[in-house]
Order: sequence, then structure tokens, then C-alpha cells
Amino acid sequence: MNCAEFQEFLPDVIDGDRTVEQEAHLKSCSMCAELVAELNLIAREAPQLQEFAEPSPRVWNSIELALRREGLIHEPVINDPRPGLELVPPVKRGWTLSWLVPVAAMAVLAFGVFVYQRNQPIAQPPQVASSVPAPGTSVQTPQNPKNVNNTDDQQLLDAVGSRSPAMQAQYASNLSNVNAYIRDAEESAQADPNDEEAQQIVMDAYEQRAAVYELALDRTLP
Amino acid sequence: MTDARKLQGDKLSEAEAIERAKQGDGEAFEVLYSLHRRRVYSLCLRMTANTAEAEDLTQEAFLQLFRKIATFRGESAFSTWLHRMAVNVVLMQLRKKSLPVVPLEETLENEEEAPKKELGAQDPVLSGSIDRLRLQRAVEALPPGYRRIFVLHDVEGYEHNEIATMVGCSIGNSKSQLHKARMKLRESLKTSRAEKAAKP
Repeated sequence: MNCAEFQEFLPDVIDGDRTVEQEAHLKSCSMCAELVAELNLIAREAPQLQEFAEPSPRVWNSIELALRREGLIHEPVINDPRPGLELVPPVKRGWTLSWLVPVAAMAVLAFGVFVYQRNQPIAQPPQVASSVPAPGTSVQTPQNPKNVNNTDDQQLLDAVGSRSPAMQAQYASNLSNVNAYIRDAEESAQADPNDEEAQQIVMDAYEQRAAVYELALDRTLP
Repeated sequence: MTDARKLQGDKLSEAEAIERAKQGDGEAFEVLYSLHRRRVYSLCLRMTANTAEAEDLTQEAFLQLFRKIATFRGESAFSTWLHRMAVNVVLMQLRKKSLPVVPLEETLENEEEAPKKELGAQDPVLSGSIDRLRLQRAVEALPPGYRRIFVLHDVEGYEHNEIATMVGCSIGNSKSQLHKARMKLRESLKTSRAEKAAKP
């Protein structure tokens, strides 16, 4: 059996459905063995794309609106056992963290400036770029990808937890995923600083993070 | 403890959320959405390669699911049910758009072409693991017909007979398009790796 004959039945070979002849060719031909190994690798790695991307908060907002409009979501009937409680103004737990929205937006903006400066033809010294973030913001920079605003994340999760404990774990998972996405994107961008698409993906990753904050606070604020 | 407070207690399980959603609880719907949105959106994005369209399809899939949630009896896994619904929504949309299905003839023509390239190939070897972003880009660059079969089979794990039923093609066509998709991905990933290696 030659390579052309072997490759004619490649889909079956990849599926593991091999004849004795094909098996023998595979053992004796390094080129065909490499081809099969690479196609198997692609098939093996493909499931990592299963949960790769995150929809924007707009999607849930639209779904929720539609569900309410169609009457599928029933408004909860508040049946508080303590009469007179409504006279006490509700405690607005979320307001103290409302500053996180502009902070997250500024973090994205500052990082955009950083990426823009790094892409300029005249090289900027790293210390100039890292001085861009506005005062008081804890901006993530590519030099420090693993420390992704842990304090902010924790404060956000505390705020979500105080309002809706059922959603806290979900937002923790969201933040973990988006932070992992940022790390992936930054590693890719750092590996090739001239790759504009990679830079764009980094920006998208930060926008997703800001969107998670926005959604969480939107759901958390009274 | 009120119902609302019970709901907001510890993490709501999927089964509890389903039951609550059947009763019209908004937070339960949100829990179900949060549990599955990445998977559904990723499927839509992989199939369409368009973020706006993928978001619209994600919304449509979840709305269809939530409208029918009262009929869910739990015989199958909820995720399987939802996922199948999402696939149907996407395929329906693609049919509406008259996605140019790669005909079998075209597949066979390309089959003759591709292996010839492999015989003389001197590209770097694909080994270890494939960078997720590069794989994502390579999948997005696939022709729509190939991408659809690749996503359904290799990413989502459907069998060829299921894909043939869903897409409306023969099992042989599904196998053939999958093979072509993998070959194109291999070529694309190797090119990408070679370009990366060539850069100083």
C-alpha cells in the first residue's frame, strides 16, 4: 500500500477503523503517521472551544425583558411577616460599590491606551506605558496578568452575595473564566506584539470583564 | 423563611432552578441561563462566526427553551435538551440564510487536491497542544459548510448519523466534510505556526 492509497481511506483510519494493511503502512510510513497524529490532535483539542466565549449582558437583558413581556416571569409577591417594615427605608447595599462601574470602564480605557502606545512605531519605554492608568484605579497590565484585580473581584462578589447569594458562585465562575480568557489573550499578544488581532482580542477580553462587572452591579444595585 | 429567601440561600441546583422556573421565578431563569450561556453562545459563535448573530441566536435558543420549560420532564439531561434546541435554532437560521452547503462533488474534488499537498509537505509538525485562540481563528476561517460539520462533530460531540439527520445530508457527506475541515485546519494551523516561528 502506498501513501495515496492509504490517504484515500483517511477518514476511516482516523476513526480507528483500520485494515491490517493500513495498520502496517501507518507503522512503516512516518509521513502518514504524522498526518494521522496531527488530525487526531485537532480532533482531540477541538472540545476546548465548547465554552470559549461569553455573550454580552445584552443577551440576558433581552431574554428577561421578553420573558416578562410574555408573562413567563411572575413578579414575586412580597409577604413580609413584619407589618410596618415598609416604613423603614430599604438599605441600599449596592451603592457603596457603584464606583466599580467607572473604575472598570477606566481600566479598560487605560489598557486600551497602553495597547495603542505599544503599537506605535516609536517604541515607548515600559515605565511610561505603565504610568497611564488614572489615579486610584487598579489597572491590569500585561506585565502582571495573573493578579487580575482580585480585590475588586472580591468586593464585587461580596456585593452580589449580599443581594443574591444564589448568583454569587456563578459570578465567581464568570470572573474566573474571564480572567483566564484575559491571561490567554495576553500571553498570545505578548508572544507576538505585532499581531493586531491578538491585541484586539485582549481588548475584547477586558471589555468582557467590564461587562461582567456591569451586569453584576446592574443586578445588584437596588 | 419566604420562598424568595429560600431561593437566595445557598447555590440553587439546576434541578431546583428548573422547578422554580416552571413556576415563573425570574431568578431561576437567570440561574439556568448563567449555567449554560457560555456553551450555547460558543456553539452559536462557532457556527456563525459572527458575534452579533451568535448573540441573537443565543437569545432565541434560550427563549424557546424557557417557553417550553413546563414540558421538560427530566427524562433526558437538561443540558442535552437545551443543547439540541440551540443546535436546531442555529441550523434553522442557517437554512433561512441559505447557507451554501458544500456539495459532495466539491468535497470529492478537494479530497483529490488536499492529500497531494501533504505528500510534499515540509511544514512544522503539530504536536503537544494547540493554542486555543489560534484554533478558534482557524475554525472561524473555515468555509461555513465545513465549519458546521466540524463544530457539530469534533467540538460538540455529535455522531455522524445524528449530524446527517440534523443537517439533512448523508452520513458519507458528513464524514467527508469533517475530514476536509480537519485537513484545512491542519494546513491553517501549520501556516500560523510557521509564520510565528519565522518572526524574529
